[in-house]
Amino acid sequence: METNSLSKYTVSFGLSLALCSVVNAMLVVIKEKSPAVQSSMQKMTGHHWITHSAFIVLLFLLCGWLFALPNSGRGPQVAAVKLARIVAAGVILGGLIIMGFYLFAD
Amino acid sequence: MTEIILMAHVLFGVGCLLAAVWLFVDVLNASEANLLRIRRVSLAVAGLMWVAFIVAGYFYVVDYRADKSIILKGPWPFAHNFFMETKEHLVIMLLLMTTYLPIAAANNLAANKDARRLVLLLTAGIALLALLVEGHGAIIANGVKMGLLAQPH
Repeated sequence: METNSLSKYTVSFGLSLALCSVVNAMLVVIKEKSPAVQSSMQKMTGHHWITHSAFIVLLFLLCGWLFALPNSGRGPQVAAVKLARIVAAGVILGGLIIMGFYLFAD
Repeated sequence: MTEIILMAHVLFGVGCLLAAVWLFVDVLNASEANLLRIRRVSLAVAGLMWVAFIVAGYFYVVDYRADKSIILKGPWPFAHNFFMETKEHLVIMLLLMTTYLPIAAANNLAANKDARRLVLLLTAGIALLALLVEGHGAIIANGVKMGLLAQPH
């Protein structure tokens, strides 16, 4: 029998993936444009890329967990088609910001 | 040892790419009979990507400085300035996508058309992005080669 509902973690971590893809790209722009930010990221773990990666992975896990909490722990009510569009938009936007930044702005 | 680390990250990256393509085909034909295999392969995609990421990260942080210097002094500085710079940040997105994959694949894909579409979109995205960063890696390797060839003998 066909069903349409997605598990709450599929929705919450999908939203988190879209958000973190964009945050990842924004962090690239911020650290490349601000030597102070890059320097402080360097100091935290010894390399700015390690700090960057660890921050994004932890943010993904945290947001995925937090987004599952609304609606008495049932998670956000997002239709599957809309979730797929949000995930695709987040990942494509994140990729375009990164490639566009190094192609035109850096 | 450096070359082994370098080749290992390519090996695991290609493994992740092939597993994603395998998963795409399996999800196209999702049924009760292959659900367990779909979930196992989705875990393999994530596992292979995590190993590739950690091995590549070790190389990038510890050993890449010498290669970067050769590339920037050679005729292909864009191999670092564009391709390495974008690759090192695109792979973070790829890591998140592969980590999310087993969560999405935990739905009953045999009975849920929307979940099936989501996993198909995700596996296609993973395969395309993995192919893109593999291409970036090839250009970076050629950047080193061009730099070495340009050095006076």
